[in-house]
Formats: sequence, structure tokens, C-alpha cells
Amino acid sequence: MDANCINPFIEAVDTVFTTMLHVQPKRNGVRVSQDDKNAQDRPSLTSIVGISGQISGVVALRFPPETALCVASRMLGSTISHVNDEVVDVISELVNMVAGSAKAKLGCHPPLQLGLPTVVEGTGYKLKYPSKSVWLEVGFASDAGTFSMEVTYNPN
Amino acid sequence: MKALVVDDSLTIRRIVVKALGLVGITEAAEAGDGTEALRALAGDKFDLILLDWNMPKMSGIDTLRALRQAGQKVPVIMVTTEAEKSRVIEAIKTGANDYLIKPFSPDQLAAKVKSVLGAPTG
Repeated sequence: MDANCINPFIEAVDTVFTTMLHVQPKRNGVRVSQDDKNAQDRPSLTSIVGISGQISGVVALRFPPETALCVASRMLGSTISHVNDEVVDVISELVNMVAGSAKAKLGCHPPLQLGLPTVVEGTGYKLKYPSKSVWLEVGFASDAGTFSMEVTYNPN
Repeated sequence: MKALVVDDSLTIRRIVVKALGLVGITEAAEAGDGTEALRALAGDKFDLILLDWNMPKMSGIDTLRALRQAGQKVPVIMVTTEAEKSRVIEAIKTGANDYLIKPFSPDQLAAKVKSVLGAPTG
């Protein structure tokens, strides 16, 4: 997986956040990591969706709690002050839309399949995927706060 | 005018219900998957269905197929992340009246609804 593979996903983040949240995320750069080195010390919520088909992998959006609250409040049009099922649902749908938009740009035939999103909440957890995966991580800054996207996939 | 909004995401259901208000549709029922949608349709009459594709239990495309095979002619707009042309063609061939790709703006959804229902309602 080379760094150019991340471009459809970056474009997807831009489209999804601009359309659904009216925020313009600014990219901070791409980092490459092995699957056992992407833990973060600060609390976060990460929405994850699997991709399968001609390629298989994972797309994840990792939010600090304050960003997740801001994003959920904007998306639902009401102030949400603590992490609840609504916040989980919002960030699940965001990763679903990012993965969906990116998979269309990847142009595989037949279309890639998406799983149903999952959300992890905590501190210091690691995202793992089989086969010593290489993860590409992109940090973003936005009016809604900072967040990051992590992607790994391999051809089948 | 009554709509059925079918999506496993509470967030999307809320956004869709709000957008329907832009075209004067203020009565909307919600379902979280295809089986719930078919139950709702068995017990009530709807003028429009907004239908997600990827859902647990029963997908949107299977729900649409079941609807059309049962002779239901209610207009259906697929509202989904499935953006590939082959998916759009599959949905239209199965009986969808229109197709809206997520992410979408409320105005885009309102325009699709107006187009499918034939005349502006608000």
C-alpha cells in the first residue's frame, strides 16, 4: 500500500465533512505506521468500517471526545454535551459515508462491500488488522476540532 | 402525504425527516432495517419511501425487491453510500424511482422528492 492509495479517502473526508457538517477539514500530513504502533495516549472515539472484495481492509475515523461532541451537535442540529448513543451513531455514519465515497473512487468491479460500522471508545487502544498491516494515518484540523483518519487495505 | 424513512442510522433518519419538511412532508414514520420497513408497510399506507441500501437483517435492495414483487407501487428513493454506477442501475432495474448518494444536502434530497412526487408540495 503506497501513500497515493490514501487519496480517494482524503477526498472522501473532504466531501463528507463539507456536505454534512459545513466544515472544511485541513489536512496535516500523512503518516505511515505499523499496526502495533498507532495507539494514542489521549482518550478518543474511533468509528471503524471494514471493506471487502477485490481489496480488503479497514477505514477508521478517530476523534477526541470534544471533536466527536462538536461533530454530533452540528450533524443533529442540537447541542450534545456528553458522549451518548447519538454521538456513536453520528461518527458511525461519518465513517460509513467516507468509506462509501472512497470505494466508489477506487472503481473496483464488482463494487467493494462495506461492513456495518463499529465504534471503540477509550485510551491507548490499538487498531489491528491481519498480516502486519501498514496503516496510513492522516490528521485533520477543522472548525469542529481535530481528528484523524486511519486506513489499511491489501489486494486479495 | 406520509413518508417512510428506512435507515439503520438514527442520524440519517433525523436528517432525512428534517429535509422532508422542506417539501411540506411533515408526517414520517421510521424503520431501522428492511424487516421493520416491511412490517410498517403491512400496517400503514405511505406515499414515499426513502430507503438505505446497507442495513442489518434485510438490505435496502432486498426490501425494494420484496416490495415490488408484492405489487407495491409506492415511490422509492434509495438514499445510500453505494455510489457505483452498477449499483444505481441495479436499484433502478429493481424498481427504485430515484437514487441519492450520501453525503447529501437537505436541498438535494428535497429536489429528489419533488422530482419523484411529480409536483412541488411546498
